[in-house]
Amino acid sequence: MARYGFILALICVVAAGLLGIVNTLTSPKILAAAQAEEQAALKEVMPLAAKFTAVKSVADKEVLYYKAFDNQDKLIGFVFKAGGKGYSSVIETLAGIFPDGKISAIKIISLNETPGLGMRVTEDKFTAQFNHQNSLDLSSVEAITGATISSRAVMNSVTKKAQEIKELIKNDPFNGSTPLTIDTEQRRSVDSAQGHAERTEGESKHDK
Amino acid sequence: MKNLIKEFAKGIIKENPTFVLALGLCPTLAVSVSVANAIGMGVAATFVLLGSSLIISSIRDFIPDKIRIPCYIVIIATFVTIAELCMKAYSPQLDRSLGIYVPLIVVNCIVLGRAEAFACKNNLARSFFDGLGMGVGFTLALILISAIREFLGSGQILGHTLVKGFQPVFVFGMPSGALLVIGLLLGLFNLLKDKRV
Repeated sequence: MARYGFILALICVVAAGLLGIVNTLTSPKILAAAQAEEQAALKEVMPLAAKFTAVKSVADKEVLYYKAFDNQDKLIGFVFKAGGKGYSSVIETLAGIFPDGKISAIKIISLNETPGLGMRVTEDKFTAQFNHQNSLDLSSVEAITGATISSRAVMNSVTKKAQEIKELIKNDPFNGSTPLTIDTEQRRSVDSAQGHAERTEGESKHDK
Repeated sequence: MKNLIKEFAKGIIKENPTFVLALGLCPTLAVSVSVANAIGMGVAATFVLLGSSLIISSIRDFIPDKIRIPCYIVIIATFVTIAELCMKAYSPQLDRSLGIYVPLIVVNCIVLGRAEAFACKNNLARSFFDGLGMGVGFTLALILISAIREFLGSGQILGHTLVKGFQPVFVFGMPSGALLVIGLLLGLFNLLKDKRV
C-alpha cells in the first residue's frame, strides 16, 4: 500500500518540478502579452492618450478605471470596463470617455452571443455610433436588428458604469476640477431610456 | 519499421479517433467553428498525446496496475498545463478563442483512451507512432469538420472569403450545425467502410 503512495508521490513531484520550470519560463511572456494587450485595447478607445494609469480600489486592489494622459501629462479622459448581461453571456465593453462625459470610443472585449445576430455588436457599424455621444444618454444609438437584448446590454452597462465612475471621480481628491458634468434633464432622459429598455427585454424574453 | 508506419497510419483513416472510434466528440463540437481553432486544438492535443504516450510507455513497468489511472491523469495533466502555458505565452489570441477546451484536453477520452488501450502495453517506438497517428487523425478530422462549418457558416476559410456573394448559413456556426456536420461525416465514413468490406 505504502509503495503505491510513494510511486504516485514520485510522479507528482517530477510533474510539479517540470511545471515549475515551464511556468518560470513562460510567466514573464504571459504577463507581457497581457499588458501589451491591455495597453493596445486602452489605446483603441482613447487614441489621443499617450499614457494610462490604473486607479485601483483601496480595499481589494481591483482596477476601477484608468486615467488617460497626453504627451504633456495632462489628464484627457478616463477608460473603464463595463459588463452587462446579454442574451447568452456577459458582454464586457471597454469605454473611453472625455472629462466632459462624451464617449471617445468603445470596444467590446468579451462576449458569447448568437453568431450572426448578437455577435454583430462588435461590428463598427454598431460601436461607432457611441463615438461623441454623452456616456449618460445613449438613446440615439440604434440597436442591431434582431439583437435588441445584446445591443441594450452594451448601452445600459456603459451608461450604468459611467454613472458609477462619475461618482468615483468626484470623490477622488487628485482630480481637482470635477469632470463629467451632467444636468438633471439629461439624467431623467437616461432613466426613461433604461426603463424602456428593460420593458423591451422583458417582452422579448416572454416571446421565447 | 513497416509495423511502425502501420501504427501511425491506422489513426488517420482506419481507427480515426473522431469518425471511427467516436472519441473526444465534445471538444470537436465546440472548437470546430473555424479552421484556425481546429489547427490550434489539433496541435495541442497531438502534443499531449505524444508526450503522455511516450512517458506512460516508458514507465509502464514502474506503474502498479491498481493506481495506473491517477498516474496517467497526473502525467496527462502535466502535458496539458505545459501546452496551455505555452499557448498563453506565444499565442494569446488562440488561447482566448479555444478557452476552456485546452484545459479540458486532460479529460479528453482520446488521450486517456490511448494511454489505457495502447501505451501501457506497447514499447516506446510503437506508442510514439500510435500517439502521433491518433493526434494527426484527430487534427485532420477537426480541420475537415471546421472547414465545412466555417465555409458554410461564414463563407470563409481561415478568414479568407472564397466565394463572393455567398449567403452564409448561420446554423453551421452554431453547435447544432456541428452535430449535423459530424453526423453526416460519421455516416459517410461508415458507408465507405461497408463498401470496403
